[in-house]
Amino acid sequence: MNLARLAQHFIARELRERYRGSFTGFGWALLQPLLQLAIYAFVFVHVFKARVPGADAPGYVPFLVVAMWPWVAFSDALVRATLAIQDNAPLIGKVALPRELLVLAPCAASFILHIGGFVAIVLVLAVAGTPIHLLHLPLALLLYLPLFVLAFGLALGLAALQVFVRDLVQILGQLLMLFMFAAPVFYARENLPERWQGWLDANPFTFYAEAFRALLLGYGDIGLRALAIACLVAVLAFFAGRALFRRLDPHFEDFL
Amino acid sequence: MSEVLLDTRGLGKSYPRSHRSSDRLRALARLLLKRADADAHRVLHDISLEVRRGESVGIIGENGAGKSTLLKLVTGVLTPTTGSVAVRGEIGALLELGAGFNPEYTGRDNVAMAAALRGISGKALAERLPAIIEFADIGDYIDEPVKHYSSGMVVRLGFAVIASLRPDLLITDEVLAVGDESFQRKCVRWMEDYLEGGGTLLLVSHSMYHIQKLCRRALWLRDGTVAAFGDVFEVTQAYLAWHEARSAPRESAATRAGLEFSVGPLALNGADGEAAPLLDIGSPLHVRAEVDSRDGRLPVLMVGIVRADGTPVYGVSTEMDRLEVAADADGRLHADIGFDALPLLPGSYSVRVHVLDPEGVRLFDTRERDFVVRGESREFGLVRLSHRWRGVRERSS
Repeated sequence: MNLARLAQHFIARELRERYRGSFTGFGWALLQPLLQLAIYAFVFVHVFKARVPGADAPGYVPFLVVAMWPWVAFSDALVRATLAIQDNAPLIGKVALPRELLVLAPCAASFILHIGGFVAIVLVLAVAGTPIHLLHLPLALLLYLPLFVLAFGLALGLAALQVFVRDLVQILGQLLMLFMFAAPVFYARENLPERWQGWLDANPFTFYAEAFRALLLGYGDIGLRALAIACLVAVLAFFAGRALFRRLDPHFEDFL
Repeated sequence: MSEVLLDTRGLGKSYPRSHRSSDRLRALARLLLKRADADAHRVLHDISLEVRRGESVGIIGENGAGKSTLLKLVTGVLTPTTGSVAVRGEIGALLELGAGFNPEYTGRDNVAMAAALRGISGKALAERLPAIIEFADIGDYIDEPVKHYSSGMVVRLGFAVIASLRPDLLITDEVLAVGDESFQRKCVRWMEDYLEGGGTLLLVSHSMYHIQKLCRRALWLRDGTVAAFGDVFEVTQAYLAWHEARSAPRESAATRAGLEFSVGPLALNGADGEAAPLLDIGSPLHVRAEVDSRDGRLPVLMVGIVRADGTPVYGVSTEMDRLEVAADADGRLHADIGFDALPLLPGSYSVRVHVLDPEGVRLFDTRERDFVVRGESREFGLVRLSHRWRGVRERSS
């Protein structure tokens, strides 16, 4: 069996099906984060009068955009992939196949869609006159690679556990909310009292939020050590998730 | 001997008990710690089976005997708890309803998925798709989500996919039971053609007709173990006999003491005892028993043959034949009747002898004994009626 071709098939089907039946089709992939962004921009800019700290700080909207888009890709991938095994129960009970693919498909589809949205909105911002380093965009896209590996690894573990613990996905929704607020997505590290700032590094997403801003907005900088640690964490998460998945894989059928 | 396509050794499967969510958590912890499950429900135990290329094996047994579990183990969908499965060549499996179709996707999407899972996509799929759609013959439903299909349509589509793949080993589970007459015929014809072309078949069915028509060997599963494995006619007949005997109502033995008329144990073809004699189709049957009359009046005798499930085949009495029992030289009465050439088809039967009062109104006593008719026959029903075809000739092949 040609694994790559099969993966391609699963991802293509996932993409096609995700927006079938929705009124806006693929447009929803762009529309949904845009709407979310509009709400946050209104609340933070006009209600809370949020400002990004620093002398040459970017506007709040681009500041939010470049960190929130990767977060949306990451969390969307996790939530959808967690249900992948449970939702494909009819297939699992009837056909022998490499089941990692069932988790890979929603994960990859989420990233593809949201990376598309990310590129589009960065271009929109650039056209609107925001000072964005467009030349760094390819580098920024490379950052999605370790983020994807991290998400896929976590998703493998979560999807396997979801078969046994059915309320995992509800808990996950709450946890993701917590992790979003515990990462510098809506605020900068400098907004925090000094003694809390170090704790941000315990959140794996902190690196990505700050790295995207450093690359595209020139706000802060990427430490090579931080990059190396992020890659290492992603690889470890992948192998740990895969090990858990493979341990539980033979028993899925018994519990679905 | 041709190559072995499927080889299972000491195959067993236990399902964990998981009724409450706490069971699931405990199971998860146990799996992570690699502990054995103490509280598992064993559905299949010690199955050793070898299937060679070109063979056709029917799997029969009651509901819950483990047939579907066995197929799932063979296809690799389930992981065995004990023992091993070795499969050579490509498997095409149609397990229960649907070939793993996702109900939300259209028939066309599901066909593409099923084909992709077997390594066919793009151009090769585009070439086969028209043939698949034609075989399934479900019209415009092909572009509807599978959840709108009837169960017959799901099976049609599933079978069409498998048929186009022509796997080395074809595994089907109760596929024929769901389709309508014409689709059943189409499937059976296709399977016969597939077998003639050297295909290998593992068929689960409750229809002994289909099993006997398509398979040369049969495996009878009972409570998760092999009850019998061998020639299809022997195994299916043993299975049917067991089934019939099980579903027959059990009569409570009437007390014979003090009856005005009673009948003694039956001797069949001269054999006493309880064992069920084996007869061939068309062989004679002789029934003899002693009859006792307390006051010397002559009873009416009745003899009947029923199939093991209680279906009456034939019954006759001395009164109907305008006869009367007569005492022998010692003054004893006998029920004694012979059937010269019993035209019963293979299966389990019982012969019953009843004694009635001289008026033929009140039943006093009954004796019963089983016998088995054996032989190879694909005929239907209970008896072989004598017949003659016209406008026919010997088949050339």
